[in-house]
Amino acid sequence: MASVTTFAAIDVGSYELELTIYEISPKKGIVQLERLRKVIGLGRDTYGQGMISYDRVDEMCRLLHRFQGVMAEYQVENYRAYGTSAIREAENREVVLDQIKVRTGIEIDVLSNSEQRFLCYKAIAAKENEFNNIIQKGTAIVEVGSGSTQISLFDKDALVTTQNLKLGALRIHEILARIGGMAEDRKKLAQELIDNDIATFKKLFLKERNVKNIIATGVCAMYLGRGAHADKQRISAQEFMEFYEDLRNMGEEQIADKYDIPGEFVSLVVPGAMVYKRLIDATEAEMVWLPGVRLGDGIVAEFAEQKKLIHFAHDFSKDILVAARNIAKRYMSDKDHAAILEKNVLNIFDGMKKYHGLGKRERLLLQISAILHDCGKYISMKTPGECAYNIILSTEIIGVSHRERVIIANVVKYNAMEFDYRTQDVDLNKAMRITIAKLTAILKIGNAMDRSQKQKFKDVRVSVKDLQMFITTSSSESILLEETMFTHRADFFEEVYGIRPVLKKKKGA
Amino acid sequence: MGVEKDFQKFEYFQNRELSWLQFNHRVLSEARDKNNLLFERLKFLAITASNLDEFVMVRVASLKDMVHADYTGRDIAGMTAEEQLEKIGHGMHGLVDVQYSTWNRSLLPLLKKEKIEFISCHEQLDDSQGAFVDEYFEASIYPVVTPMAVDPSRPFPLIRNKTLNIAALLKKKKGAEKKGELEFATVQVPAVLPRIVELPKGKDGERFVILLEEIIERNMSRLFLNYEIVCAHPYRIMRNADLSIDEEEAEDLLKEIERQLKRRQWGEVIRLEVEESIDKRLLKILKKEFAIKDDVIFFINGPLDLTFLMKIYGTEGFDHLKQKPWKPQIVPEFANEEGVFANIRKGDIFLHHPYESFDPVVDFVKQAASDPQVLAIKQTLYRVSGHSPIVAALARAAENGKQVTVLVELKARFDEENNILWAKRLEQAGCHVIYGLLGLKTHCKICLVVRKEEDGIRRYVHMATGNYNDSTAKLYTDTGIMTCDRAIGEDASAVFNMLSGYSEPLSWNKLSMAPLWLKNRFVSLIRREVKCVSQGYEGRIIAKMNSLCDPVIMEELYKASAAGVKIDLIVRGICCLKTGLPGVSENITVRSIVGAFLEHSRIFYFGNGGNYEIYMGSADWMPRNLDRRVELLFPVEVKENKEQALHILETELADNVRSHILQTDGAYEKPDKRGKVLVDSQAVFAQEAIQAARDIKEKKGQLVSGRTFIPRERPEE
Repeated sequence: MASVTTFAAIDVGSYELELTIYEISPKKGIVQLERLRKVIGLGRDTYGQGMISYDRVDEMCRLLHRFQGVMAEYQVENYRAYGTSAIREAENREVVLDQIKVRTGIEIDVLSNSEQRFLCYKAIAAKENEFNNIIQKGTAIVEVGSGSTQISLFDKDALVTTQNLKLGALRIHEILARIGGMAEDRKKLAQELIDNDIATFKKLFLKERNVKNIIATGVCAMYLGRGAHADKQRISAQEFMEFYEDLRNMGEEQIADKYDIPGEFVSLVVPGAMVYKRLIDATEAEMVWLPGVRLGDGIVAEFAEQKKLIHFAHDFSKDILVAARNIAKRYMSDKDHAAILEKNVLNIFDGMKKYHGLGKRERLLLQISAILHDCGKYISMKTPGECAYNIILSTEIIGVSHRERVIIANVVKYNAMEFDYRTQDVDLNKAMRITIAKLTAILKIGNAMDRSQKQKFKDVRVSVKDLQMFITTSSSESILLEETMFTHRADFFEEVYGIRPVLKKKKGA
Repeated sequence: MGVEKDFQKFEYFQNRELSWLQFNHRVLSEARDKNNLLFERLKFLAITASNLDEFVMVRVASLKDMVHADYTGRDIAGMTAEEQLEKIGHGMHGLVDVQYSTWNRSLLPLLKKEKIEFISCHEQLDDSQGAFVDEYFEASIYPVVTPMAVDPSRPFPLIRNKTLNIAALLKKKKGAEKKGELEFATVQVPAVLPRIVELPKGKDGERFVILLEEIIERNMSRLFLNYEIVCAHPYRIMRNADLSIDEEEAEDLLKEIERQLKRRQWGEVIRLEVEESIDKRLLKILKKEFAIKDDVIFFINGPLDLTFLMKIYGTEGFDHLKQKPWKPQIVPEFANEEGVFANIRKGDIFLHHPYESFDPVVDFVKQAASDPQVLAIKQTLYRVSGHSPIVAALARAAENGKQVTVLVELKARFDEENNILWAKRLEQAGCHVIYGLLGLKTHCKICLVVRKEEDGIRRYVHMATGNYNDSTAKLYTDTGIMTCDRAIGEDASAVFNMLSGYSEPLSWNKLSMAPLWLKNRFVSLIRREVKCVSQGYEGRIIAKMNSLCDPVIMEELYKASAAGVKIDLIVRGICCLKTGLPGVSENITVRSIVGAFLEHSRIFYFGNGGNYEIYMGSADWMPRNLDRRVELLFPVEVKENKEQALHILETELADNVRSHILQTDGAYEKPDKRGKVLVDSQAVFAQEAIQAARDIKEKKGQLVSGRTFIPRERPEE
């Protein structure tokens, strides 16, 4: 029985709470055992009043308590509970989470938007055969949620960019509800609202990309398949448009009846379908795939991957790196310099493995920092550090959490300026500060090695001996400029690690 | 295609109450059937009496409510409530007449022939018998009766629903001041004493019985010592007992039902039964006190409340007058020691009660309760038996630390008192008890066992057409399936999640649930047959159920019939559909099977162009099942099981002994048997079950009768 792991994923969403229980085994992979959903309108509280009311917390706690009963029933060994935008955006978030923890013992982690999307993306990618088939052609993942719409674009088999538009089905519905007036007018207004955002998106990100397939996920997509014939997973754009026309001409009750959509969701389906419709128009996509995945499927995929219970053929860190390179490109970074820097810092990171105690994930963050290290120059040559910091903090990198993005932004900032041990940044906790210092020290050294941007340190070897780290290059060119720059940065490195970096030319070179 | 034909005309449908009366007539015809054994005939007569009681209490009562509420709507056959009451009243009187002529002309003489003398009135007792009953009165009856006289200082007492009473007119004995003035008195015939009193045997061993009320009548004067008894006659009333609970207001459903039960005694009187020879003055008083009109008075030529005949059936001896009690046969798939779950893992198992034993179902819960690998048991309970082994097993499971969820339906008519009791017991044992759903009755019969096994969680599901009631499982014909199919297991979990208040699943695999999806599912299954016809295939539907009166379904059936789908319906009770209507229902046949076992299973066959599908479930084709109850329809999937289900339907269609066929004039008639092989479907199934049990025993016998020993392997789990 040891080979079977039971796992529970709790999704504290804006519209409903969901518990899914999975079984993970090498033989059968991930199998869903049970899925419990209950509508709790957290989003109504957060989007309406900015915070979550006590009654809602109470309701949530009672439901979570019942979830625990079901988890006990299946003897669940591991669980993860994630909150999304309704919790994330609530002003009283910390208090709410604490109350839940005290009352139920359940610790809810708040997902940043990009983490959430990444999990969904993992769930989609876990359907490997179909997924790999779909992304052969230009593909966009579009998730129309209740609060926002996320659009992620693929380039070949890697995800290149992801953007969040404030076009949620619930949000649109609420805005329209406030306006009142004729149904036809309201629909027109919704159209305009949607078109405006989509036009901007098209201009900035879609450009020459050729999107043939749309992968639709999220609360609205769930019911789009009903329009076509009996819960099909793939519908053509043509079929979708027919469904949409049908929807447009019906009242909510009729829609619920005809397409068997539960009453509490029917008000989301029309605005959701509108968003999809406009996107299909904008991209001229030909086919919509409804993989029917839920956040829970992503949560379990991530868990199973981390615990090495399953193995994905798809390389997700590559997605993250491609996305980072895309951002760097947008800000006209020097590609060659960045490439050598990436290589050097990773060399140092690997060589210092015994001394920094950091893991694979931090290595990835370092790599992203290297890729993005000079994006600030696009804005200002004078204060590239601050500019880069701001760019990074306001750019979503799929698969990277908000906290991780803060680390990257700081590493990039201090690469260009003096490290500030006494920073007042409230976003930083102790562990983060240390990680930032360690990664900054490496990035500074790496950067110094290519000061001339002539890639003199192409093939370096890193070795640590007697509290010294020797960086040996086989380059025959003079490294005088680098050595000059090096000293100051080496001081900081020594401060952080207690190890002195030394530049060396390979003997005989 | 031309103009859409109207299939909803009033004349296409029979009124459901009148159809029900026809059903009770069919049961009554079993009491009149000379081919049945005498005591079986008594039993059928008793059933018609208790059926009629319930009918009056529920259906007549609700029609009365409609009249009181000035509701002028028309039923599917175009009748108002008032018109229905009039016709029903007429029909009920006719039914009662037949009941008593059966009793007086056939059964009483036959009993006498069998040396059971039924003394109809106390005046017929001889001296020694008289002395015997008087002594019995003194010793046993007198202490428990409460005579109640009515005069200006003592108002008319509360007469309880369904109780038997004796009304009397009294006159003060000599010496009283006002002579000649009559007073009214009433005595309830005590329900704690047996209604039938046996007298000492005769010389030739013949037996004599008399009814309790006759003994009391004979001794009335002893209850009213200072009076002279002018006359005394038994009577019985029926009150409006239809429960309509306002759930929104009831804080606690449980308390509300307890309260309603007490209140039920106070309902309006909707029927009065009196002895045919009742004194006119006495009747006048009763009429006035109960505020009733002539049409609800039934003059009875014989003993009131024939349900006591069930008690006669229960008397020891007379085995030659009773059908041998049926012993449910072993289910072949379980004829081993491997345990329920190991057997289910070998493949879906079809159950057909009462021909096959209900034990596997009880074992399903029992073994789950003590199986260390079982994590959870979830079950719906609608009506259970008095000392239900299933309830006991569920309680034990909870005590053994399993997660036990039980949905107890408190709204199961007439069973509330019983249900509340054991629901409390389950809760005490640690079960999670759901007391029904707001506004819906939970009628589906499903039990889910979650088991942790070597290769992960496996779910075992039992679904059936009948309740989890080991007593009625011996009398009702029901079918069920046990399976560990993944998709059904997933759906079963979803069913319980919905019953626990969670949202519906994103999609269903194989089950269809009422009230949300089931009706549409049936409609689309019927329409698929129409499509088959239009594509040149045969369209075929065979459906067996207890009642058929859903307008939507009936309309679809008419449309299907008009399109050429051949439809055979086996409907035990109410059927509002008419056969043989030109252009409407010429392709539909309806038959009703009434036998020793109560036909109860619901099986649905759809031809599907040669690739037939069979479903079973808890729902009849009635609005109350499809719109106001939680019901389940499940597919029969394994080839052998499908064949077995189809065999049940085909055998019942061939039945020419127990079946009554609906004629185009609306009457039910037994088929013409001349020159035909007699087929009694219930007897066929019984014989087959015996044969199957014998076969499996022989097979096992062969295993041990050889010359080599076969060592038993360690059981799989």
